[in-house]
Amino acid sequence: MEPLRPGPMSVPGMTETTEAVARARAGDADAWGELYRDFAPAIFRFCRRALPTREDAEDATMEIFMKLRDKLSQYDETRSFSAWLYRVAANHCWDILRRRKIRQDKETEDVEDVPLEHPDPSQLDKLIEQKTSEEVRHALQKLGARARMALVLRYYSDMSYDEIADALGVRRAFVGVVLLRARHELRQALEGKSALAAGGTS
Amino acid sequence: MSEPANPVSPEGPGGTLDHLDEITCLLYAERQLDRARAQAVSAHAQDCAACRTLLKALERESRLLTRAMLEEDEPLPSRLAEFQERARKSHQWISGLIFGLAATGVYALYTNFVEPWQQRLEQAGFGGTSLLSLLVFQGAFWKGWQSVITLLEVLAMLTVAGFGLVIFRRRLRRGSALALVLAGLCAALVLPPPAGATEFRKAQTAEVKQEETIKGDIYLSGERVRVEGTVDGDVYVLGKDIDIDGHVTGDVIGGCQSMRIRGRVDGNLRSAGNTGIISGSVGKNVTWFGDSVTVDSAGKVAGTVSMFGGNLAIDGQVGRDILFFGHEVGVNGAVLGSIWERGDSLIIASTGQVGGRIQFKGEQQANVSPGAKLASPVEFTQRERRSEYSTGHYYVWRIIWTAAFILLGLVLFLLLPKFASESVAAGERVGAPIGLGVLVFFGVPIAAILACITVVGIPLGLLTLGLWFFAINCAELVVGTVVGNWIFGRTTDVWGQIGRMAAGFVIVRIVYTPIAPLHVIGALVGLGIWMWGIGAISLALYKRLQPKVTGSSMGVPVAATS
Repeated sequence: MEPLRPGPMSVPGMTETTEAVARARAGDADAWGELYRDFAPAIFRFCRRALPTREDAEDATMEIFMKLRDKLSQYDETRSFSAWLYRVAANHCWDILRRRKIRQDKETEDVEDVPLEHPDPSQLDKLIEQKTSEEVRHALQKLGARARMALVLRYYSDMSYDEIADALGVRRAFVGVVLLRARHELRQALEGKSALAAGGTS
Repeated sequence: MSEPANPVSPEGPGGTLDHLDEITCLLYAERQLDRARAQAVSAHAQDCAACRTLLKALERESRLLTRAMLEEDEPLPSRLAEFQERARKSHQWISGLIFGLAATGVYALYTNFVEPWQQRLEQAGFGGTSLLSLLVFQGAFWKGWQSVITLLEVLAMLTVAGFGLVIFRRRLRRGSALALVLAGLCAALVLPPPAGATEFRKAQTAEVKQEETIKGDIYLSGERVRVEGTVDGDVYVLGKDIDIDGHVTGDVIGGCQSMRIRGRVDGNLRSAGNTGIISGSVGKNVTWFGDSVTVDSAGKVAGTVSMFGGNLAIDGQVGRDILFFGHEVGVNGAVLGSIWERGDSLIIASTGQVGGRIQFKGEQQANVSPGAKLASPVEFTQRERRSEYSTGHYYVWRIIWTAAFILLGLVLFLLLPKFASESVAAGERVGAPIGLGVLVFFGVPIAAILACITVVGIPLGLLTLGLWFFAINCAELVVGTVVGNWIFGRTTDVWGQIGRMAAGFVIVRIVYTPIAPLHVIGALVGLGIWMWGIGAISLALYKRLQPKVTGSSMGVPVAATS
């Protein structure tokens, strides 16, 4: 698989980021500006994919960077800054979605127990071939909160299954199941069917 | 990892070869299978065209997803591009506003409210007991109704302490700081009273017999309570009929239907109850919450009588002042100090005498017999409900209190951002919180009072009552934030929420202020706001106490074979 983790818009070197983080920690406002300029576009896109509306994504991006001011002291400099930043963003967006969707999820939680229909390999291949990136983005907006979040964490942020399990609060063994259900929902949405009917019947 | 379905099915019982299930294909495509299973899948795929196609389709789907997500389809919104600079500026502005608001609120709270009331209550004989001396020297937070005097100080201190916590929260972990505060509060509430050994007596008729002498405090509880002997300490008493015929060197603190003091109490009498009759003597002050108190002709109170509610008849002697909120005061005996009454009527009979000023605010002029001996004429103020609302003073105070409440809201939002958001979210549902609010508004005080009936439940009951009172004060803030969210849209940013809280609260106040003077409608709207807010807080609390749903309840896909 090709490397997935998106970098900042104008990718600075690792050293530059580390220096900027160190200066930001020391209270340097210009360093904050640098980090914001470098990473805000990628974080905004992440939020745009994960949250339902553009306004939500804008608000969330600002909140994540505000939060970053308090959390930067917790950052372990031996690890990748962008990976850590995505974790902060993922937790923030998931908190927002969970708060809003808790009622809706309760209403549809029985769908989780419906067995998934095994796809016809050739039909699936054909469906994927026909669809464009734009159509996929449009379909993503129709998915349930958890399905969309799972796909974004995996295919935008390139998070590992462990990281996804941690972010979504599910057992590691179920991450594959969550992703598979999300793909089924996405296919249904791409075919123009209700995302909630994605459980199908066997 | 243990996959939820068979990775590769061997030949089935019928001798036909099963296909790989989709989850196995996905895990294989995502490099999540262990080596042995991956090899088995790979071997199967080499021989099975359908599974090979499925694997290929899944990989293609992964690439399509990645491409779709990573494509830069929209530029960074200008709002975000300018955010960094704006955030810096807005923070300076907000900091200035907060400082100004905080200073105004604290100053207004202290100089215009806490200080004058403290002086007035001290003059009325509540006794200059400070919070510090209560906590440090006496060792118990709650020691009868005299703690009421400290309530305002506590509120002011909590506000200041809240600000301190907010300022230093970067250094302190929020959880541990809150835990410390709560633990301190609980410890203060449950600390035993200091003086000597404490005795408990609970019976149908709980009594201290005539020949008995109790050294230290005593708790008495029963349908009938009699103290005929001597108690060298305080008496905490709870019952239907209470008679104090003996000698109590400390305070008598209690709740009852009727209480008769025929003996001698050297300390204070603090009680809530229906009827109180003092035929004996009380060495210090009397504080009574209830329907009627009579100091009969043989009765003597050396200090001040403070009463909230009902009727007060003084046939005997009161050594100092009378502070009264209620229906009627009748003076047939002697009051050596002043009378300060806010009630319906004041009657001073020909045998009555008052040694100090008489300030009476009521519905009608005081009825003073010509033979009554008064040091100065009655200073009467006609009480007009509407007049309060028509004075500028009332509106100035509304503004000051609005600032103080916004300050409280600010502190709460910064201290408990998550819980504040949850309360507001709960409030947005309107119906459910109001329904629950009705229940909590009336139910909690009843439950707390019931808890107080059992002596060990007193700290718990008082804590519950305190939280209930605090929640009522926060109710309007919650409703204000909900209104703010309706007008300006929701946000998850704490400062955005604080802005909405402040704006919404001001709007609620502006709308409610002209309604408040309308007797029934004003009261109903006020009550509705309280119930809505307190219901939202309760709902958020209830949700917090619910167990969290985890992923373990999720279904497992079943592989279909063809």
